[in-house]
Amino acid sequence: MSVQAPDEARQMAATKKRAQFSALLGLTLVALLALMWILLAFSTRAFWTYGNISNLMRQGTVVAILAIGETFVIITAGIDLSVGAVVGFSTVIIALLLGSGVPVPLAILITLLGGLVIGAFHGFGITKLGLPPFIMTLATLTAIPNIGFLITNGATIQIQNDAFSSFSTGDFLGVPNLFWMVIVVAIPAYILLHHSRYGRYLFAVGSNREAARLSGVNTVGIVYMAYMVSGLCAAFAGVLTSIRLTSGSAIHGQGLELEAIASSVIGGASLFGAIGSVHGPLLGSFILTTISNGANLMHVNSFWQKIITGGLIIVIVYFDGIRRKKR
Amino acid sequence: MTPAQNGKDQATGAVATAAPLLVLKKLDKRFGGTHALKAVDLAFETGEIHAIVGENGAGKSTLIKLLTGVYPRTSGEVFWEGKPVALATPHEAIALGINAVHQEVVLCPHLSVAANLFLGDEKVRYGLLEHGAMVRAGQKILDDIGFHLPAAALLSTLTIGQQQLVATARAATRGTRFLIFDEPTAYLTRSEATQLFALIQRLRANGVTIVYISHRMEEVFQLADRVSVLRDGQLVGTQKVSETNEKALITLMINRAIEQVHYKESVPFGNEILRTEKLSGKGFQDISIRVREGEVIGLYGLIGAGRSEFVQSLFGRFPKTGGQIFWDGKPVEIRREKHAISRGIALVPESRRDQGLCLNLGVGLNLNLPIYHRLSKVSVINPFAETAAADKQIRDVQIKTASRDTLASSLSGGNQQKIVLGKWLNHGAKLFIFDEPTTGVDVGTKAEIYKLLAQLLKAGAGVILISSYLPEVYDLSDSLHVFRRGRLVATHDSAHQSEKALHETILTQALGV
Repeated sequence: MSVQAPDEARQMAATKKRAQFSALLGLTLVALLALMWILLAFSTRAFWTYGNISNLMRQGTVVAILAIGETFVIITAGIDLSVGAVVGFSTVIIALLLGSGVPVPLAILITLLGGLVIGAFHGFGITKLGLPPFIMTLATLTAIPNIGFLITNGATIQIQNDAFSSFSTGDFLGVPNLFWMVIVVAIPAYILLHHSRYGRYLFAVGSNREAARLSGVNTVGIVYMAYMVSGLCAAFAGVLTSIRLTSGSAIHGQGLELEAIASSVIGGASLFGAIGSVHGPLLGSFILTTISNGANLMHVNSFWQKIITGGLIIVIVYFDGIRRKKR
Repeated sequence: MTPAQNGKDQATGAVATAAPLLVLKKLDKRFGGTHALKAVDLAFETGEIHAIVGENGAGKSTLIKLLTGVYPRTSGEVFWEGKPVALATPHEAIALGINAVHQEVVLCPHLSVAANLFLGDEKVRYGLLEHGAMVRAGQKILDDIGFHLPAAALLSTLTIGQQQLVATARAATRGTRFLIFDEPTAYLTRSEATQLFALIQRLRANGVTIVYISHRMEEVFQLADRVSVLRDGQLVGTQKVSETNEKALITLMINRAIEQVHYKESVPFGNEILRTEKLSGKGFQDISIRVREGEVIGLYGLIGAGRSEFVQSLFGRFPKTGGQIFWDGKPVEIRREKHAISRGIALVPESRRDQGLCLNLGVGLNLNLPIYHRLSKVSVINPFAETAAADKQIRDVQIKTASRDTLASSLSGGNQQKIVLGKWLNHGAKLFIFDEPTTGVDVGTKAEIYKLLAQLLKAGAGVILISSYLPEVYDLSDSLHVFRRGRLVATHDSAHQSEKALHETILTQALGV
């Protein structure tokens, strides 16, 4: 017993340290975001204005929602490359539905259902056909936009709907409507991930699928769930995109999957699985949005924006890795 | 050179005259706040077999990693043939002639046996690989050292035991002068272990220094010249094997006397839990057994005898092809794992790292994994119930952990095994299937696992125990079934014969000689 006591004290200290580190990661991202905002506020007068901040919130919405869904998949040690394609596809679907006179709520519902079906298809390919997630979603990333182009004959469909266009520019309690949608997604996602048993199973599947299965977890169901959440988020992001751009085209959302993955990883998710949160990708996506917003205001060449973003991803994830190793 | 010249006599008797091959002076290693190895002074003679024993977490693995250059040391000195060496990289260690055979096989499963033997040292002509020549040379190496293995076969087609032998052959044939074995027999069958021991004796006769790490005391006494004991990172003693005994070593290792390592409390048997009648499936045929409350059924046999396949089919892994399973006296179908789990069958798997634990998640989550449906309402978890369930289990099973949020990976092997057990205690399973529960577990933890077993039995559970370690199955089981080539060849009830005679009988039955 006497030998044990110092051991326990040491472990206790280690655990405390770990908890501090985890909080620190959240804090460092908040601090990074705050630092960027302060620097931008001082270097360009246009940044810290109501108009620009609410614009930034609108710009960040779509990637933030995609990143939340993507994080669910990444926690299972998977990846969903199709989310950008699903965004474009969903804008086409909702534009067609609205064009043929379907009421708005029903049109949204059908579009979201489409996202769920695509997610379930991913789950099927990964669990039943045994395809690696990268390949399965690469296939749909390749195919889905072209289904959209086939439907529209390559054209862009304009959406004529007043309720739609007023929603995208409107606000509620001074906060843009679109940003409220992030909260509408984040709260249930947070409860699902951190306070429901399915969330625990998600982490378990990402950590050790075999152990989870031997513990009675329906691992196939959990993988389905992860991709369906991602598909649903992508379809919802598609609905919001169609609202912002008042048009439907399979070209919308192109390349967004990479921003979603980057946001998730900047937010601390591990591509090896079992590590991730809901607030992480939110912060990650708004860091990315701030870079592009700030760079635009400061008239930085858009090529430079992407170069800075790439560099920042390496730096943030590198430091995160160091922090994890120190644990 | 005869073995007598260069073997045991020299190593143990003439220590003072021969210069030691490798000397450690105040070797020290810290990982952050953890002091893993504390000022170890140790000398390894040329051509001796030096056993190192100690509980899990005593510092054995750390010592190996320092000697093989995997970790840099924090302080202290290492002398190789009297000259100071840095041992900063694995490459440097290998160049000196220091090699290790690890407990887990670290080879490439998708390459052939020969390709693995020559990995990093391929035979090349005109920049092209000479596959044929390597297979021939590889086969010659294997034949020479007496391992009956095909050099052209893919490594992944061999059993874990055979792969372990390939790893040994690889380490033994590369100009090795100092060879470390870490629990080499954990996955070996008896005949494979015999082949390995023969090789070890031969290497020593050729002047190779062997460091032999094992939890199995009888191997230490069978093989080693000297034995060193580590406890909590400190070297607590080095003795000639001829001058000590098992009990004294164990006392040194754990610093408390253990009365009996394998003990079992007899519990009166209750109702029948599970019965199979002529159950057949992939790898086994016509198996009829019965488990009652409070009873331990031991299954013994060589690897590939069908024991594992049989219990996996009870757990819904491979559905049966014939026969019948009765649960609580009623015929049942178990076609999936979840059917087994929901009835109350728990599998404590052989490889806790691969199958038992979510290593990079918390202890509490691991413990609660099978019972989250009970801890939540409409799927939302009650956080108080969750922490209470985890804390209760940590207390009940005495898991040494700082908190329920500590990552499972940071616990010692024995405590990890306790998590695997604890989660099924939480679940309230009725029948426990243990697949090699004490592989790679130290004496102290082993005793605790046995204690847990007794606890399960008293609570009215039944146990099916699979172990390749005969003394273990023999001592713990109320009745012992011997498997050979997929069939049940014998059943022994509690021991009436003398222990040794029965051991021999069982072995003969398992081997079929």
